[in-house]
This record gives sequence, C-alpha cells and structure tokens, in this order.
Amino acid sequence: MQRRTFLTSVGAGATAGLAGCLVGEGDDDGGESDITVGIIYSTGGLGDESFNDMAFAGIEQAEEDFGISYQNAEPDEPADMNDMQRQFASDEDIDLVCCIGFDHETDLAENAEEYDDQRFALVDAVVEADNVANYTFREHEGSFQVGHLAGLLSTMDYAHGAGETNTDESRVGFVGGQEIALIERFEAGYIAGAQHADDGIETPSAYAGSWNDPATGQEIATGMYDEGADVVFHAAGGTGGGVFQAAQSAGRFAIGVDDDQSISAEEFSDVIVASMVKRVDTAVYESIEAVVNDEFESGMNDLGLEDEGVGATIGQDFDGDLPDDVIDALADSREAIIDGDIDVPDNLDDL
Amino acid sequence: MSDDDSGEGLRAQGLAALDRLVDATAAERIAISLASLGFAIIVGTVLVFVSGFVAECRDPFIYLPGLGFGCYNPLEVYWTMFIGSFGSMTDIGQTLLQTTLLLFTGLSVAVAFRAGLFNIGTQGQMVLGALATALVVLELAAYVPDNAAGMLIVIPVGVVVGGIVGGFWGMIPGLMKAYANAHEVITTIMLNFVAIGIAFWLVQVHVGDLTTDSVQTESVPAVARLPATISGSRFSVIALIGALLVAVGIYLLYKRTVIGYDLRTSGIQESAAEYGGVNAKRNIVTSMTLSGVLGGIAGAIYVMMVQYRWQAGIPPLGFDGIAVSILAGNNPIGVIPAALLFGSLKTGSVAVDLSLGVPGELVEVLRGLIILFIAMPEFFRMIGKRFGYGNGSVVTDGGEA
Repeated sequence: MQRRTFLTSVGAGATAGLAGCLVGEGDDDGGESDITVGIIYSTGGLGDESFNDMAFAGIEQAEEDFGISYQNAEPDEPADMNDMQRQFASDEDIDLVCCIGFDHETDLAENAEEYDDQRFALVDAVVEADNVANYTFREHEGSFQVGHLAGLLSTMDYAHGAGETNTDESRVGFVGGQEIALIERFEAGYIAGAQHADDGIETPSAYAGSWNDPATGQEIATGMYDEGADVVFHAAGGTGGGVFQAAQSAGRFAIGVDDDQSISAEEFSDVIVASMVKRVDTAVYESIEAVVNDEFESGMNDLGLEDEGVGATIGQDFDGDLPDDVIDALADSREAIIDGDIDVPDNLDDL
Repeated sequence: MSDDDSGEGLRAQGLAALDRLVDATAAERIAISLASLGFAIIVGTVLVFVSGFVAECRDPFIYLPGLGFGCYNPLEVYWTMFIGSFGSMTDIGQTLLQTTLLLFTGLSVAVAFRAGLFNIGTQGQMVLGALATALVVLELAAYVPDNAAGMLIVIPVGVVVGGIVGGFWGMIPGLMKAYANAHEVITTIMLNFVAIGIAFWLVQVHVGDLTTDSVQTESVPAVARLPATISGSRFSVIALIGALLVAVGIYLLYKRTVIGYDLRTSGIQESAAEYGGVNAKRNIVTSMTLSGVLGGIAGAIYVMMVQYRWQAGIPPLGFDGIAVSILAGNNPIGVIPAALLFGSLKTGSVAVDLSLGVPGELVEVLRGLIILFIAMPEFFRMIGKRFGYGNGSVVTDGGEA
C-alpha cells in the first residue's frame, strides 16, 4: 500500500507540491479575494486522473479567477477525515471547507452542527444543515448517454483509432469499482442506455472490488472483450486503467469516467471513444464562487444533464469521426431525458 | 552505528561492536535511540532540503545561486511535526489517542513474538473485533439507560465482545499451526484478507447503514462512546490507562508466572517444552488467541473512542503494531515508548499535511527514516543476541529476541 501511494505521488507530487506552496499566498493574479478554502479529498487522493483531480481543477480555476487561497488535505483513510474536517473548521482563516466524496458524510453531519459558524460544501452526499451546500450528480443520466452510444456502436460496423467493433454480436460491458449504490447508478443508467439503442443487447457487468486495482480491471475487461463485447464502460477510478489496457490489447473500445479520460489518460486515447464526465470541478468552483460573492446557500444542488453536471464527452481522437446519425441519436436521447420523456432508472431494480 | 575503518580488523571490530550492543544497559539503549533520532533528523533534513529544489512552487523559502529555488524548509517541517503532535492539549490528545490504539496492536504482536510466533494477522483480528463491537453496542444501547450507568454496561461489553471475536480469529491460525503445521505467517496474512472481505460484505449487504453510499454501520450512541478527556479530541484517558495496565500485566505474565514461561517455551522449542511436560500445542493456540484478543480489543477501542462506527478502510494499525513491537524488542514495557513515538509521528504528519505544502509522501519518508534509524540498533542487538554474542545472553532466551 505504501508503495502504491509512492507511485501515484510521482504524478501527484508535482501538482500537490505546486499547490501546497501557494498556501498563504493572498492575491496573486486574477481577482483579489481574501477567501481561503480548505479542501479535503477522498481517499483516492490527488493524481487519480479523475474524481479528486477534477476537484483540484475546480479549485485551481477559482484561484485563477478570484485570487482565493487554499489548503489541501489528503486523507489516507476515511478515519482521517473527521480530524481534518475539525482542524479546517476550527481554523479562523478558513472561510469554506470543501469535502470531496461520500465518505465525509457521517463525520460532517456532526461537525457541521458543532462548527455552526463555518461553511461547508459536500460533493457526492447530502448533509442537511444550515451551513452545508450539497452537490450531487445524476450519474445515471450521463451513464445513459454513454450506454446509448455504446449500444449504437455495438450494433454497427465501426472502426477508428485502435479499435473496431465485432459485428457478430451486440454486447457491451460494465466494470465497477466497489459495489455500492453510487456505482449502481452508473451501471443502471448505462444498461438502460444500451437497451435504448438495442432491446436485445447483452450487458455483462462485474465489480473489481477496489478503486485501485488495474490488474483485476484488465482481467475482467479482457474476459468481456473475449466474449464479444464491443465497448466496456468503467466506473472504477484507478482500476479503469486496466480496462483501457484490455481494450487496446483486444482492439475494441472503452468509455472513461469522471473527466475526459482521452485527455487525462492520453496513452489510451485511441480506444477511449467517450467519457461520462462528472463535473466535480464545477461543483467545487461554484461553491467557492458563492462564498466569494457572499451568496453562500445551504441545501441541495443535484446536477444532471440539463445543468451540464454530467454528460457524454466524445474522446479527442473520435471527435468528428463518429457517424452523424450516432451523434444525432445521442442529442435526441439527451433532449428526451431533459424533457422527462425518458425516465432513467437510478438503480438496478428499476431497470 | 558500525565502525568505518577498513581492512582486516573490520569484521572483528564489527563483532566486538555487536557484543557491546548486546550487552548495552537500559540507559545506554535509550541514549543510542536518542542519538539515532538525531541522525534520522539530520538525514531527513538534507532530504527535504534537496527535494525542495526539484519541486516547483511560487513561494520558495530560499534561493541558492546556481541551484535555484528551494521550496521546503526542513526546520519548519520538523517543527510543525513536533508542534502538531505536542503543541496544544488537543494535539496531545490526538497523539495519545493514536498511542493507545498502537499499544493494543503492538502488544498483540509482542505477545505472539514472545512465544516465537509471528502474528501478521492483528489487522484482521482488529477489523473483525471492531465490527463485532459496533454491532453489539448498537443493539445493546437500546436496552440500557442513557447515562453513566448504561455506559458502565455497554463499554465493558463492547470491549469483551471485540476481544472474543478477535481472539477467535487469532485462534484459527493457532490451531492450524499447532495441529496442521501450517506456518502462521502465511495463514495470518491470508486471514487478513478473509476478515476484511467478510466485514466489508456483511456491512455492505446486511448490517450497514444503507442510507449512505459509504460502506459503514450506523454511528454508535453516546452511551457507547468513551468519555473524552481533552476537549477537541476524542481521546479518553480510561482507554490509555487500560492499555498501560495490559502492558504491565503481560510483562508480569511472562516474567513472573509459570503459564507465561510455558507459553514462551512452547512456541520457541516445542519438543523441549513437550519433554518438560508442557502441552506445547495447546500453548501455541493460547498464545495466538491471546494475541487475537488484544487485536480485537484494539478494534473495540477504535470503534468506541475514535470513529464511533465501523467504516470500510480501517487504518493499518495492526500492521503498525508489528513495527511498534519490533522497535520495542518485543518487550511489553518497551511497547509503551514505541507506541508513543509512532503515535506522535502519525499526528505530526497530519499537521504537516494540513499546514505546509510538503507532499504527504515526503512526510512518510521522514517518518520511515526515524523508525528505521531507531529500530536498526535494536534489530542488530536482537540478531546478535540470537547468535550468542554478548556476555549475559543465552540463546534459549530467544523469546525476548
């Protein structure tokens, strides 16, 4: 475990180091706000090329636009989160504490009450308190979009980049990290989307049991491709790297998650046909913007397709190459979801 | 620590140094440890300083012509580490909280080591003990009054349940070792995975709090929370006193009682023990069970003093316990300062992470250096003793080695 931490640090080190040294800097460039934000990541940590790095991107953007300062905290275990929340909450220089990830929920419910003069933002979970702004995402809506895309590709003859579809069968796969309700939302939306494209489509899915086990991810995805899957979508954090690897070996397609992984995991851009983007950066940015403008509001912000909180982003190598009728079909189903004509299930029981 | 003269005399000198090290008095060993701490800080200082020139930052603390900007101030790092662990009452509370948990896991490992058994499974025993405690106190709390009297029932029950479940999980590799000759290192490592898997699955699918995406149980009520001693920290002095009493108790058990002597000899020289009329197999099982009990109690304390619930991703206190025990030379009394050192390093590195821009990984390296430097002389001492160097040592006393 220590070794893994060290390896990821090679990537994260540069950014984290850069970030850290900005602590205490006030108004450098851009705006001149004297707001300081404390941000506590989830256990995946910086350098995950998805969830946490997205949050970091949001705070960097806010620094550029408003000249805020910030302090990063990366918990090793969920058990560290409570202490970090309390340290930031009791720090008089800090005007907003951003908590990234659902593991913060239970501790924040208690701490928000105790530190009732501090403001908090919570991503991916909900704490009902007067001083907590919650940001959740309708991941199933975005997943429906990429599922729709995968289903359409699976039923047609398409080759581009390092992949091509297998025309014999209509089959698309899903690889999850841990089998929790949040990831089930991805799975349910994805399967519904694939079925929207083709009623008879096969949709195998499997969970790696971990956010950071690319070897297992590769094993699962290879099995799916061997059985004829044309596209595999992962919602598994670092485990997803193995899925991309398997796609390249099999010469098929994969779909990324959280940010545009054809950019963040560029070595696989020739197989990443799209990514289910979840704008964690927007959530962090908006929460800071509200504090800067003195408009902080507690309550729910549930971001879906309509708010562009989630969505399908076509991979950089595939942008402009996908057939027009596929792009049009995606746009249609997006409209239908926003208008309420398509009801996207958020759990497997409602499929 | 070794002589740096080259030539033929090197080996002889090295062995003489080993002899000297094995015979070192307690005071000398403390002095050696403090000197090692000093060396670790010097090496760490250089490391932090140099890596500051590789990193990029907008607010460097120093500029050296020809080298560029240095980002990290080593003195500030160590100072923050120290202040972060002892700078305020809250910080001291956080340090003692970690110390208390490490005392239990360190003792768990030490008990097995004394009997010549390597229990790598303290982590799994702790995870299952913690879960059992959480579930039982959640149930039990509904039937007791919500006051001090209720606490007097719930908390001891929680500790006992954690101990029983941890002990059961420790007994399994003990039985496998004694009756099937399965090496306990392999079985305990594997049982860690089994324990963590079982706990995760149970909480996620059956007994957890299904209203949250997090894999966790519901929070235990106030009646199952050890009363905090210092404001701003969940540390409870009751748990620390309990841990210290256990340390002394185990020391006395091995030093003064026949049972303790039998336990030690059974693990180290099974046939000799049998020859001496001791049921060695049963004693191996007893040692592993006792070790598991302590691991389980660590889990119980974790739930009732630290997190107030069971949540997937329990910190690796069981693995840290191995280092604590080795650092202490597997001496139950020595586990006390070793746990304090590890506890303060843990709290201190959180402070560095929160307030300085130094990457957490670099802080891990500093922690590792301190542990390595302090453990090395003790490690050589144990090896020397094992191979019969020094005057006062006997090989059969390997339980202490």
